[in-house]
Amino acid sequence: MSAVSILTPVVVAAWPVFAAAVSAAATSLGYAVVAESMSRLGQTTNEKSVAKQVELEIANTELVTGQLGRDQRITVSRNNVTVTFSRDARGRAQVCVSGAGQPDEALRALGQELSQSVVQHYVYRKLIDECRARQFIVVEEEVEADKSIRLKVRQWEN
Amino acid sequence: MAQREFEITITPDGNVELHIKGYKGKSCLEAVHMFEEIIGTLKSQRETNEFYEPEEQVQFRVDQRQ
Repeated sequence: MSAVSILTPVVVAAWPVFAAAVSAAATSLGYAVVAESMSRLGQTTNEKSVAKQVELEIANTELVTGQLGRDQRITVSRNNVTVTFSRDARGRAQVCVSGAGQPDEALRALGQELSQSVVQHYVYRKLIDECRARQFIVVEEEVEADKSIRLKVRQWEN
Repeated sequence: MAQREFEITITPDGNVELHIKGYKGKSCLEAVHMFEEIIGTLKSQRETNEFYEPEEQVQFRVDQRQ
């Protein structure tokens, strides 16, 4: 081996790419996508009055979007917990978790678990796409018991 | 043909552990830089013994005939 490196991901993505990562992460954790558009906004606002709500931010994110897509959002739900991902004014990914009868700590933990999974799915997709573009070959792919994704990639060079 | 190998682990929190194999010397750093561009910021790095081996070189010997 030559080197072992640890890298912290930076999510720079257009909204459709980010929404796809949210959708994949949500599905893997048993959530269902309930809405993806502006139409969800009114419903989310109504929920605020009956359910507790916590807000989180995903660090190191920059969601690139056109003027028309500025207020896009995607909402997922599981067991009466609703999580809405949106882009804030600075372009960062914002997460709003709500659920009736749930303490703030529990909602925060659920939001963090899902947010981390979104970043993991984003990084996975980015790596697979970049490997393909550079003609690297993915020879092994495994999901470990702790949900880590392990890839073995080969490159031949003249 | 030289074979390079990358073992990549994406942890559940999205961090990436990258093992780069098959590079000798500092050419390995170019590969690390490539993954920085794809993934993000380098948090830590540990070089292994192979890192300190000399890079592959081709030597020519020219003999002069008299």
